[in-house]
Amino acid sequence: MARSIVVSLKGVESSFGFKAVDRNSLYGKRRRVPLDSSGGICTRASLLEDGSLLLRSGMTGQAYFLPDGTSLKQSELEAFDFDGSPLEKVPSTVGVSQELHGPVNAQDVLDLRVKTIYALLPEEVSSDLQTSVDAGDIYKFSFNYRDDYQAETGYLVSNDSGIYALIGDSVSYEWSKLELVTELPAVDQDEDDDLDFEMF
Amino acid sequence: MSTFRRLHVSNSKHRNAVVVASSRSAGQAPSMGKGGVPAEFRRYIAVGGARMDAELEESLGANYADKIIEGDPEIDFEFVGKFIEATQSVLLSSSGDPLFVAPQIVEVSFSPDGSETDRRVPIEVPATVNDSIPLRWTGRKMPKSEAVRKFAFRRSLQLQHVDGVTFDFLFDMAKELADENAMMLLGSGESGKDPLVMQINGSPYRGFLEGRVNVDDYILLLHLSSMELKRPAILVASDEEAS
Repeated sequence: MARSIVVSLKGVESSFGFKAVDRNSLYGKRRRVPLDSSGGICTRASLLEDGSLLLRSGMTGQAYFLPDGTSLKQSELEAFDFDGSPLEKVPSTVGVSQELHGPVNAQDVLDLRVKTIYALLPEEVSSDLQTSVDAGDIYKFSFNYRDDYQAETGYLVSNDSGIYALIGDSVSYEWSKLELVTELPAVDQDEDDDLDFEMF
Repeated sequence: MSTFRRLHVSNSKHRNAVVVASSRSAGQAPSMGKGGVPAEFRRYIAVGGARMDAELEESLGANYADKIIEGDPEIDFEFVGKFIEATQSVLLSSSGDPLFVAPQIVEVSFSPDGSETDRRVPIEVPATVNDSIPLRWTGRKMPKSEAVRKFAFRRSLQLQHVDGVTFDFLFDMAKELADENAMMLLGSGESGKDPLVMQINGSPYRGFLEGRVNVDDYILLLHLSSMELKRPAILVASDEEAS
């Protein structure tokens, strides 16, 4: 069954199908690929440090283990925050109506560390909401794709091409003050990145 | 936690300075465990040497289900269950054998639908964000409300001063932008119009400067976007079909 993002504005619900969008799906991608002497694509594997076994794709597993070596099933896992207090599981919001807050400022969206972008596929949209987002209004709502321990924040935005949900975590920045001087690093700390993207 | 890098940037009057750009890593993920005892997430060996499906089929025949119930031939007791510590990355040829000569590297292009469109010798793309040429104001200002609806910003850097002079430099930039409630598109390279490439062979980004001011304090952010907010061709096609 198709799953929907359901939101409510002034008590009137609207629902959308959703499809994740990334730059590869918009512009394609480029990848550097190693080829063997016959022109075939090479694959990566891992060699144990002592050289005793070559680990190919499908030969490894991963799990949580207690200090005594007992592995834990997903259903047995409990979460704790940084000070050791147990965390409650946050249920999925998919298919569950979430209240829209706003309209909010564009700056709130700029303070979102965006993790996922969904193109929304309107199923039933209230005329009030449609009119409002068409006029450029932005709304905030709670989002959690699956049951887990960290709920996320979503923003509903619209442009000429459709309505989108930007999903991520809100970030707060500290004010830069005259007396708080940051030391200039000597060497850049580069981050890994891939070469792709054709919007230019 | 934040990471810091140098950023050479100019202002609307074409004065330039090297300042600090910091990016914050995501918040700490919760710890997992059971009954108050923390658990560790680890990789382990699930299948030993020559015990994958195709290899078992070759040694035991196509219908080997009964044999693995009777004798556990699929389990390599020397390795299975061992935690994986340090490993070395190895390339395998297309036939699955370890490679003993350096591979040829090609750059393969894929269209949005995933099909291969081109192969070529890789071209090194230099970083355009560097100490020698400052990022420049392009003069293209965009209201914040328009920018967030047009571009997807997935990375942001906070620009910070390194002394009193750069405090004034960045504060004035933040104030100019805050007063207009607008974001300024930055450009790189000699022309000052190229996209921002943070490191060699990195992705090109559109960079928009955004400023906020609170009396004598400021926040100056460089928001980076590598994609417009629009629908993939496959969705546009299905939208048109539905309508």
